[in-house]
Amino acid sequence: MAINVGYFVKESLVSFRRNWVMSLGAVITIYLSLLLVGVSVGSSMIAGQIVKSVEQKVSIRIFLKDGAAPEDVSKLQADLQGDSRVKTVKYTSKEEAMEEFKKSYSSSPEMVEQLNVNPFPASLDVETHKPQDVPALAETIKGNATFLKVCDNPTDPERSIRWGKEWVNRLFSFTRILRMVGVLFIIMLAVISLIFINNTIRLAIYARRKEIGIMRLVGASNWFIRMPFLLEGLLQSLVGAVLALASLAAFQIFAMPRIEEAVPFLPFALPPGAAVQIAVILIVGGSIIGLAGSGFALRRYLKV
Amino acid sequence: MISMRNVSKTYVADKPALSDVNVEIGQGEFVFLVGHSGSGKSTFIKLLLREILPTTGQIIVAGQDLVRMKSWKVPYLRRNIGCVFQDFKLLPNKTAYENVAFALEVIGRSRHVIRTQVPEVLRLVGLEDKMHSYPDELSGGEQQRVSIARAFVNRPPLLLADEPTGNLDPATSLGIMSLLSRINKTGTTVLVATHDREMVDSLRRRVIALENGRIIRDQDRGVYGDGD
Repeated sequence: MAINVGYFVKESLVSFRRNWVMSLGAVITIYLSLLLVGVSVGSSMIAGQIVKSVEQKVSIRIFLKDGAAPEDVSKLQADLQGDSRVKTVKYTSKEEAMEEFKKSYSSSPEMVEQLNVNPFPASLDVETHKPQDVPALAETIKGNATFLKVCDNPTDPERSIRWGKEWVNRLFSFTRILRMVGVLFIIMLAVISLIFINNTIRLAIYARRKEIGIMRLVGASNWFIRMPFLLEGLLQSLVGAVLALASLAAFQIFAMPRIEEAVPFLPFALPPGAAVQIAVILIVGGSIIGLAGSGFALRRYLKV
Repeated sequence: MISMRNVSKTYVADKPALSDVNVEIGQGEFVFLVGHSGSGKSTFIKLLLREILPTTGQIIVAGQDLVRMKSWKVPYLRRNIGCVFQDFKLLPNKTAYENVAFALEVIGRSRHVIRTQVPEVLRLVGLEDKMHSYPDELSGGEQQRVSIARAFVNRPPLLLADEPTGNLDPATSLGIMSLLSRINKTGTTVLVATHDREMVDSLRRRVIALENGRIIRDQDRGVYGDGD
């Protein structure tokens, strides 16, 4: 068996050299498709991180009308506190809301000066243990009698309660579209890579048809005949995978810190262990494409 | 060694390439298979190598039923059958030695076996001086000797030769035939498909004559025949 391994490797390397233009084409298409796979897997991981961090910021804010009875407010606060889904309830007075506004617009003081009355309502900020509970909890609050008494818009209580629903949903649908487009691209490129490998292997088979005929004649086993071609396809896709990984690593090292700097408010980083995961996906995916491509070619053009 | 019973092969309907062929060839025999082109000789050889399957009938080669044989076992059958062709089928980028060694390499023989058996068989066919010549540096007869060496290097019990002298002049052909006879004397069954009348007549071996896919004559110590 030891000789055989050497024989296979030698044969596939010779063939790689002989058909290097076609091989290069195959390597480049695999490189591009795996690069896109890596980019989309990586970016969906980052998007996942961002969605998670946004979700954690999702909380319910209840706006209270000016002059709401303090005992009603404390009753609502107590009701909320009694709910098992609720983590904290924080009261923000009108003055505190004004202060907050002044702080966030400190760069344009003329805007703050324009306000001669305090237009901000007092509010209760409700945080839940799990962000998924937010929509249901919002519904519960809407049915609370005390809430209806103290909310700042009694005719339309719906508008007195805010939570980051739109935000989260929009982010989700955006990442969903992104992922779908990515998957489409990847499938397209995978098909193109398969065709390319199929072609290079067909050429390799054609170039060696005489040898193959003789191998069949003297009784070389089917696997022995197929192996160099399978290895050649595998070799092409592995080279493509390694190039794609190198490009992704370069991007991670040189470009990612810049992006993180540019958007400091979002956790623009790969989760831990993601690099290894992506490497495994690319290597395994590349191997599958390479073996499948040469496998198709062998079935179609090599009758053994 | 070879047993065909009621074998027919039809490629196109109504024009059988072989019809109802019955042949028994024992171990160690030397047999000529004669007939015009189109008489079914090539089909006969292809059936023995199991490149094709018969439409009906039973074929047994070296104790193995070819019709029932699983396709993955075919390579192992072929290791028991040496093959020689009219066009030699040598690899032009390999020397005589490498061509013969290739046949052993691809069935997984060890380097040691290759190093001892290849020179030995090349000596047997009389090419010990030209071991390292490429096919285009050899004459037709010498190339055919290389191909016989390759067919025989694995010591198969059966050697098939399809028009082995078809491209060679009479003097060279005689040399090839006597080489095949010598191989036959070592106990190997030899089947030669040919339309070389002179050869068949001078050697006086068993002759099986095919015409339009049927065996019209099967004769020990036969000649090519008048009507054939």
